[in-house]
Amino acid sequence: MSDFLTSPEVQNLIKPGEKLITTHCCYCGMQCGMHIRVDEKTGAVKGVEPRYDFPVNKGKLCPKGVTAYQTIEHPDRILTPLIKRNGKFEQATWEEALDVIEENFKRIQREHGKDAVSVFGGVSMTNEKCYLVGKYARVALGTRFIDYNGRFCMSSAAGGFLKTLGIDRGATLPWTEFEHVDTFFVAGSNIAECHPTTTQHIWKAKDKGAKIIVADPREIPMARVADVHLDLKPGTDAALAMGLLNFLVEHDYVDQAYVDERCDNYEELKASVRDWSLERTSEVTGVAIEKIEKAGHIYGKSPRSVMLFARGVEQQSKGVDNVSLYTSMALLRGMIGKFASGVATMTGQGNGQGGREHGQKADLLPGYRKLTDPKAVEYVSGVWGIDPSEMPKPGVSAFEMFDEIQAGTIRAMHLMCSNPAVSAPNLPYVWDSFNKLDFFVVSDFFMSESCEFADVVLPACSWAEDEGTTTNLEGRVIRIRKVREPLGESLPDWEIMKRIAERMGRGQYFPYETPLEIWEEFRIATKGGPADYSGITWDRIDNEYGVFWPCPSEDHPGTPTMFKERFGTANGKANLPVVTYRPAGEYANEEYPVTLTTGRVVFHYLTGNQTRRIDFLSTMSKLPFVEIHPELASSYGLQTGDKVELKTRRGSMIVEARLTKAIRKDTVFVPYHWGKELAINQLTNPCLDPMSRMPEFKVCAVKMKKLPANTPLHVNPLTVPLGSSVPFMADHAIATSCHIMDEEVPTK
Amino acid sequence: MNKVMYLEFERCIGCRACQAACRECGDHDGLERNYVDYIDFSESRQTFPMICMQCKNPACAQVCPANAIQITPEGVVLSASEEKCIGCRNCTFACPFGIPKFDFEKNKMYKCDMCYDRSKHDIAPMCASVCPSDAIRFIDHDEMMQLRRQRVQMNMIEGKKPSQDDKWNYVPEFFGVYSD
Repeated sequence: MSDFLTSPEVQNLIKPGEKLITTHCCYCGMQCGMHIRVDEKTGAVKGVEPRYDFPVNKGKLCPKGVTAYQTIEHPDRILTPLIKRNGKFEQATWEEALDVIEENFKRIQREHGKDAVSVFGGVSMTNEKCYLVGKYARVALGTRFIDYNGRFCMSSAAGGFLKTLGIDRGATLPWTEFEHVDTFFVAGSNIAECHPTTTQHIWKAKDKGAKIIVADPREIPMARVADVHLDLKPGTDAALAMGLLNFLVEHDYVDQAYVDERCDNYEELKASVRDWSLERTSEVTGVAIEKIEKAGHIYGKSPRSVMLFARGVEQQSKGVDNVSLYTSMALLRGMIGKFASGVATMTGQGNGQGGREHGQKADLLPGYRKLTDPKAVEYVSGVWGIDPSEMPKPGVSAFEMFDEIQAGTIRAMHLMCSNPAVSAPNLPYVWDSFNKLDFFVVSDFFMSESCEFADVVLPACSWAEDEGTTTNLEGRVIRIRKVREPLGESLPDWEIMKRIAERMGRGQYFPYETPLEIWEEFRIATKGGPADYSGITWDRIDNEYGVFWPCPSEDHPGTPTMFKERFGTANGKANLPVVTYRPAGEYANEEYPVTLTTGRVVFHYLTGNQTRRIDFLSTMSKLPFVEIHPELASSYGLQTGDKVELKTRRGSMIVEARLTKAIRKDTVFVPYHWGKELAINQLTNPCLDPMSRMPEFKVCAVKMKKLPANTPLHVNPLTVPLGSSVPFMADHAIATSCHIMDEEVPTK
Repeated sequence: MNKVMYLEFERCIGCRACQAACRECGDHDGLERNYVDYIDFSESRQTFPMICMQCKNPACAQVCPANAIQITPEGVVLSASEEKCIGCRNCTFACPFGIPKFDFEKNKMYKCDMCYDRSKHDIAPMCASVCPSDAIRFIDHDEMMQLRRQRVQMNMIEGKKPSQDDKWNYVPEFFGVYSD
């Protein structure tokens, strides 16, 4: 265990008999710095102490961060491998579990080919582990079917950035410059609840007179003080952005010199948005013309502006279009590559940035190399010591893996660090797919909803029981420290992958004893790629409060501001997109008259598998609810606390109504952190973005029904205890094809 | 202690990190002593945090028949001392901010003590340390005086003038509460 005490100039309270271990939070992409208090004698975790010197969060934490340490020694931790026999989980030894895995993986690959075994990864793991997931799938199992939960999170942002800027780094500027920004355009990002510690930087800028524009169907906490709140209909972001682009062009707000020098395709873009008059934009988006005008003038006049967006614009069937259009607004204003201005996506998962760069994606290799590029395949094969011909071809995206299971192509799965039984759209179909699997292995440290479908559950470590690095939402590579030895028989994910690789006869490719050895190999594997980490060492991270990639050599200072001279495209110029407006995959009609959108609450993280177990967080937010405008509620006779049945073409659920005027009158909102019959994703639409394969979580059409007051709300929101039977299973699995309605499209 | 607690309600985003952090203070027995509430959720998401004002002449101490609520030399109003507290709950009724709480199991009152073990060393209390929106701050007296004037300065810069309806926005803030 590496000790690292507070910086000498910072005062912290260190209690007698305790020491502080410096690390970062396990949850969102902010990766807030924190110290964990540890008992010097026993090594037990005692609590949290703020880390005032870390520049991204300056000691600030959200309630999830404050209580994050409570997951480490939580009584619900899985401490031994579990094997399901006769429908019940029984404790087993590692040898027994690995025997079962080896036997089944080998049998299925012998009978159905190598691709019949698949890997589903996650990005709440360190870079070392995420890198190894890709290598594990391709080298140890030899399968082409690998993808990860970031497909539901960052894939549209990645697609949009690659299309326009050529390199996908979540933020083109560091967060520390935020206080000097003049205008924030926040689109589809509930910063106050999903990335609370960013708020301090925005408020600081506001103290100096910065303007804030918020585009969101809900009046989110930041919209309350915004200069303009563009309360658009869910799923109409592209229209809003095109309207604003046209507004910038018409009012001569375009930085012509910048566009001429650094952007391609300006004339085409100009022509494509010409039809988006204020009237048409207002009609499609439902936002008043005056508001769009005001936003356009503020954004157009601002000398230093930042465009911030998140899942609200990305989790749509046109997520890539939305991202590239909003990015183009920053490009037309000449904002990218300059001080205190630029564009950023708010990364959802802890290592959403690092985890998507290094080969967990179906078509990517480490260093953001493309699997379709023969040179990249040759280089990475060389690093891994395999023959390039052995490298599997690109597979399919996360949600399409369930289609492959239904089609019988995928027969086994190893799921790591993810919980698609809650987080995927159209859950009845996903649950049915899990049941169709011949053999299902899950690595996790709490019994998730997905674990319950497993044949074998492997006990993984929590974030605080292993060393490693993550990349935060700025692109800053930071260090996660080991706080205590692994609890029970749990093992770090890299060790689990190594042991399975050994059983598959590929142990020679996984000779690691420590995460540092994986890091050193990983640095070489990324060398020369767009996401180049080769100059970053663990020592440098400690000394420099993290290092920004790309960092191609040890004397390179790292790259806090991206695209200063050129963009990542072949000719160094940004591509302005030409987009044809498409409506959402599903929209309100007579039968399903209301639009449903989903999102997070501040107290829970993703599927809630961790946060629902924390006393404080579950007390603050016990059950899902539906937020309804009083005017809409009145037409259904609803009051706060009434039970409502929500129903879409895919499923239904019962929730309590919560009335507030802080939402559009035609839209309802439900948070998605609960599983089984409390999962809103039973209802959401798996209509995929054609490029990023991102499902449309944020828009679907729903109908509501008021239920009698005595209708029981469902059960314990925590997972069912060990050994219980498989939960409610839908036998009405629905095909996943994108449901485009055949009526007239309600746009012009 | 040269520092003061500075509240700005408008900055609050309702995340309740201060409440979670209050439980984490070593001397707080895992019980929070502050609270965050909506002004009116049906109208807006505006929330506000509330901590002890550390009154100069605290109502809670005045009404205590057992003289159990002590004030430190720095002016921090402490929880009732365990030996003296008779569990009458007068203090919980007297406080206009609803800060003293009552532990029915231990039959004694507990309240915000500005994390005295931290603040006596000039280390920020837990709530002010973690507040992600700087709605609760632990700052120097001089900085506080500067912040009080800031709103007025910004209004002058932006050329805003008070009217009968919004004159409160033009009054310097005092501890985050508009004073007349």
